[in-house]
Amino acid sequence: MTVAVEIAPIDKTVPNSPRTGKYLTFRLDHEEFGIEVKKVREIVGLQHITPVPHAPRYLRGVINLRGKVIPVIDLRRKFDMADVTYGERTCIIVVWAQTAAGPVLGGLIVDSVSEVLHLDESDVEDTPDLGPRGPLNCFIGLSKAKEHVKILLDVDQVLATDPMPGRSD
Amino acid sequence: MGSVAVNRRGSLQEQVEDLAVEAVTFHGDADPVERLPGIRPNPSAPPKEPPEMSFAQDPELVSEFLVETREHMANVEKQLLVLEQNPADTEAVHAVFRAFHSTKGVAGFLELRNVGEFCQEVETVLDRVRTGAMRATPEVIDLILEAVDWVRLAATQIEQSQPDGRAAPELLARIRSLAGRGQPAIALPAPPDASALPPSVTPDGSPRAVKIDTAKLDYLVEMAGELVIAHSMVQHNPALAEIAEPSLLQGLAQLSRVTTEVQRTVMGMRMVPISTLFDRMERLVRELTRKSGKKAELQVTGGETELDRNIVEELSEPLVHMIRNALDHGIESPAERAASGKNPIGQVGLSASHLAGQILVGVSDDGRGLDRDKILQKAVACGLASAGAELSDEEVFEFIFHPGFSTADRVTDVSGRGVGMDVVRKKLQALRGRMHIESTRGKGTWLLAKLPLTLAIIDGMLIGVGAERYVVPVSAVREVLRPVPEACHTLRGGEFVMIRGSALPLVRLARAFAVPGAVEDPCAGLLIVVESGLEKRCLLADRLVGIQEIVIKSLAESVKHIPGISGSAILGDGHVSLILDIDGLLGHEVTY
Repeated sequence: MTVAVEIAPIDKTVPNSPRTGKYLTFRLDHEEFGIEVKKVREIVGLQHITPVPHAPRYLRGVINLRGKVIPVIDLRRKFDMADVTYGERTCIIVVWAQTAAGPVLGGLIVDSVSEVLHLDESDVEDTPDLGPRGPLNCFIGLSKAKEHVKILLDVDQVLATDPMPGRSD
Repeated sequence: MGSVAVNRRGSLQEQVEDLAVEAVTFHGDADPVERLPGIRPNPSAPPKEPPEMSFAQDPELVSEFLVETREHMANVEKQLLVLEQNPADTEAVHAVFRAFHSTKGVAGFLELRNVGEFCQEVETVLDRVRTGAMRATPEVIDLILEAVDWVRLAATQIEQSQPDGRAAPELLARIRSLAGRGQPAIALPAPPDASALPPSVTPDGSPRAVKIDTAKLDYLVEMAGELVIAHSMVQHNPALAEIAEPSLLQGLAQLSRVTTEVQRTVMGMRMVPISTLFDRMERLVRELTRKSGKKAELQVTGGETELDRNIVEELSEPLVHMIRNALDHGIESPAERAASGKNPIGQVGLSASHLAGQILVGVSDDGRGLDRDKILQKAVACGLASAGAELSDEEVFEFIFHPGFSTADRVTDVSGRGVGMDVVRKKLQALRGRMHIESTRGKGTWLLAKLPLTLAIIDGMLIGVGAERYVVPVSAVREVLRPVPEACHTLRGGEFVMIRGSALPLVRLARAFAVPGAVEDPCAGLLIVVESGLEKRCLLADRLVGIQEIVIKSLAESVKHIPGISGSAILGDGHVSLILDIDGLLGHEVTY
């Protein structure tokens, strides 16, 4: 019998090192990024995306995830990188994010998924101040583990995006 | 029962914390833990003592009690109104008595002492009426109605996990004085003793039924929708067309039948008779006439008509506005009615019926009717109509739904009618309903709301624009046509099409939604004539894909508020299609 248990008690064991844990790493252009594994629901291949009119450029549209309609964000566009033609290895990482409106599902389009890493607090460094241009609140920090620098993303912030134009509330 | 689950869960939690390994743990002998939304025990709370656990702490029992209590109170209200018409109706007295008696019993059982004691007091009064020691005078009925309100209030407090408060001493005193016990010198009576338990069961042959949490029901409806989508995805899979295996086709046909049946049944489970709403209106009419000194009777027809309970709830507010308008502004004073040769008692009608997959809810009155000239005068003064315009009655009456019109109307009291009519229309539009109005001066007014049966599924017209497909609710479509070049005109950049003598503005969907590769020439595409309120426009689409039942999916928060889009649907091929919001597209704030 499988019993799913809330994640909360496990977090309690490491209250002073919120950045310690497992990360799924992926590639965008020449950069390596990481997101917390516990935020990842699944990884799906690229599929038909229905564009949404009047949406921000990075919001590619919505997809059908087994009966649920979820928004999909192109991370390249989100981080002002050049567009590429989607290829064999392009995929959508489906993540859970905590937003003001409650938990939401969203998809992140990435060039390719790399591996799952365990990082300790000592492996993680704060992101440098990149001036007013950088969307800094999207990042948790930088990891120096395993030679390559990995940029750790705060999924909640990536999905808690700017309000849509024409929002009434 | 509940406590055991809590306890087991607690110990499981500890084991997990000890292991502190992964988010998912395999645990061989653990029973499946009850996981109903809303009553899940707080995992961090200390495990409760299993042996001496009180029933009062069982959230499931309490929530069942609340549901039952509300049903009882609704029934009491209904019976009291019967009793008011016919004070000798002993069956009604008995029914009211039983309702308070059952509520008292269960409240005692659940240790909701204040509610229990209160109901006991009311019961004493009712007992005197029941045994003929007292008559069901209007004062008694008023008092019992007040008691109903208090019990409802207490139920709400319990629901919000507050302790059930004491009833106002003033109300209690009045109940007691009616019960013939004078001033409450002694403390409240002791809580019902064990002999009062278990709660009494009403013997009237209620239909065999089970109570289901509405959240579960909504989930079931959602899953039935999924089943329809999944079925359609299999059925429309091109690979299937190449298989000529009879047994497979037979199986598919069977699956198709079962799917339809399951969906129909599940949708039916969420249907409730509209009488649950109509009954409340009887009380409203009673109170309004009492306050205004007018006399009116409410005639209800079609209370058994069933519709989605979500719609019933949303319909309450507009219906209250409509009834209030009929009484405040439609029905005249008894003297005025008598002077014009009418029955001094005004007639307000409330009706419901099914028509072609829609539900019609009507509110009528035989009052003074709308004053066409004054409304038109007002509309011209407000700049809504130009002086000397030739308008049909319906077009004139439409002005009362205009926001701002109603308030201005009330201040000057030109024609009466109009308080909150814009609210009525907004609410109905949100339900994808439409409003129709008819009125004859001196004879009365008839308001008719046309509503869909359910909010979960609509008939959708699937249209293609470039590579995209959009769903237009069939209820908004008036016609589909291909224009001739002579009908298309442009005036200072604004395009319109002449259709049977009316100039309808053209909305290029491809331009509105920035879709590339769509048809540019209206004569090469299709015009979908849609209507919102009394306004019509043509939407330019490339092609018509088909008409089908659409299961509505809400959109995520980040894409929810796009002008012109109301939701999404999953099509037979698994792709997502957006549903057009015709009101939003036609709204004046959105210009393309």
